[in-house]
Amino acid sequence: MEAVWGILPKTIAMAVQQLPSWRDGIEEIRIRVSRPLEVIANGTARLLPYEVTKEDGVQLLNKLSRYSIYAVEEELKRGFMTIEGGHRVGLAGKVITEGGKVKAIRDVASFNIRIAKEQVGIADPLIPYVYDGRWCHTMIIGSPQTGKTTLLRDVARLISSGTERIPAQKVAIVDERSEIAGCVKGIPQFSFGPRLDVLDACPKAEGMMMMIRSMSPDVIIVDEIGREEDSEAVLEAANAGVSVWTTVHGRSIKDVQQRPTLGSVMEQKVFERFIELTNIPHPGAIRRILDASGTVLYEQRTVVSR
Amino acid sequence: MKWFGALLIIAASTWLGFAAAHALYERPRQLRQLKAALRALEAEVMYGHTPLAEASAHIARQTATPVCELFFRFAETLRNEETSVVEAWEKSLQASWGKTALKQGELEVMKQFGATLGQYDRLTQQKQIALALAHLEREEEEAIDNQARYAKMAKSLGVLAGLLLVILLM
Repeated sequence: MEAVWGILPKTIAMAVQQLPSWRDGIEEIRIRVSRPLEVIANGTARLLPYEVTKEDGVQLLNKLSRYSIYAVEEELKRGFMTIEGGHRVGLAGKVITEGGKVKAIRDVASFNIRIAKEQVGIADPLIPYVYDGRWCHTMIIGSPQTGKTTLLRDVARLISSGTERIPAQKVAIVDERSEIAGCVKGIPQFSFGPRLDVLDACPKAEGMMMMIRSMSPDVIIVDEIGREEDSEAVLEAANAGVSVWTTVHGRSIKDVQQRPTLGSVMEQKVFERFIELTNIPHPGAIRRILDASGTVLYEQRTVVSR
Repeated sequence: MKWFGALLIIAASTWLGFAAAHALYERPRQLRQLKAALRALEAEVMYGHTPLAEASAHIARQTATPVCELFFRFAETLRNEETSVVEAWEKSLQASWGKTALKQGELEVMKQFGATLGQYDRLTQQKQIALALAHLEREEEEAIDNQARYAKMAKSLGVLAGLLLVILLM
C-alpha cells in the first residue's frame, strides 16, 4: 500500500487514511474530479465526504507520470498504468483519436486505483492434479472476477520457485495487460521464484514466439487467450515441448469448446488439464478439474444451488 | 613605495579587464553546453521515455559546471519536494543562474521552456525543445559577436586604464 499512499495527493490520502478498521481491506479507490471520493473495501462501496478538486486530479496525474506526460504516452493510450507494487490505475477522460484509433486520453477525470492482492499458496493444492512428471498444459476457465489471474500468478510463483520434490523450472510470462506480473520498468512486482522471465505489455501471440525462440522456457504463462493468432501460438508452443498455462473466459469447458476462435486448440486436444473456477463460495474457488478426455479429477463438494 | 603602488593599480585594472573578457568568452561556451544539454534532454524524451527527474539527473552528470547545477537542482527538487514542474524549474533557474556567465535573454528563454516541460506528449515536447534551441542559437550568435568585438578590447582597456590612472596620479 505504501506505493499507493505515495502517489495520492495529500488531501486524498488523508481522507482515506482517516477511515476506521476496514482500511486494510481496500480493493479500489475511485477518484473522480469534482465528485466525492469513493472507496470499495471488503466488497462494499462507500462514498467519503471529500470532494476531489481539479488540482487533485492534476497532481495525481503528475505523480503517476512522474511529472512527464511524454513518458506515459503508451499508458495513456491503453487507459491504465501499473505502479510499484503491481497496483493498477485505470484512467478515463477525454479521448483523442487519430485515424479512428485512440491516440491518448487527455483531461483525465476518473482514476480507479485497483489494489493488487497477492495470494501466495493458493496454487499449492493443485500440484497433484497438474504435475505428472512435468507440468501439464493447463487451461484455467472462469467468468470475470473469479480469480483466474490471481491463480495464474501463484502458479507462476510455484513453478518458478519449485517445491521440495519438484525442482524449479524456467517460466516465461507474456504479460500483455501487465496484470500477471504487474511489472514496473520490466521488473515483476509480485513475489515469484527466481527462474522467471517476463515480456511486459507484449502482444500474446508474438510474445510467445519470441520467448520460445530466445528464452528457452519450460513453461509459458499467458493470460486470456481468445483470438485466432493466440490459438496458433499456443499450438506452436505446445508442439515445441513447452508447457502452456493460460486462462480463458467462460463458465465451463463447454463454453470454451463452443468458442470458434479456440476451435483448433480444443480439437487437437492440446490442453491436458482444465480448471474451472467459480466465485461461489468465494472468488478463486475451484469447481472442477478435468483432464483432456473430459474425466473429472476433482469436483467441489458443496454444490450451492440457486 | 610609489612604484609599488603604481604596479598594484595596473595589476588590479588588468585583472578587471581579463575578468570582463573571461565572462565574454564563457557566455558562448556555456550557451553551447546548455544547447547540448537540451539536445540530450530531447534524446531522453524521444527515445528513452525517461521521466523528467531521471533525465535531468542524467544530463547533470554529462554536463560541465556551472550549467550542470541547473539540472542537478531540478532533479533534486522534483524528487524531494511536492511541487509542480514549473515551480521546480524556476527555483532551480534562480538558484543556479548567478553562478553562470549567462544573461537575461537566455534566462527568459529557459523560463518559457520550463512552462512546457512534462506537460505534453512526445512530439509536442520535441517541438518545444526545438523552439528553445532556436532561441538559444540566436543568443549564442550574439554572444559570439560580442566576444569577437569586446573581449580583446576589454583586456587592453584594463591594462591601459591602469596605466592612465598611474600617469594621472604620478
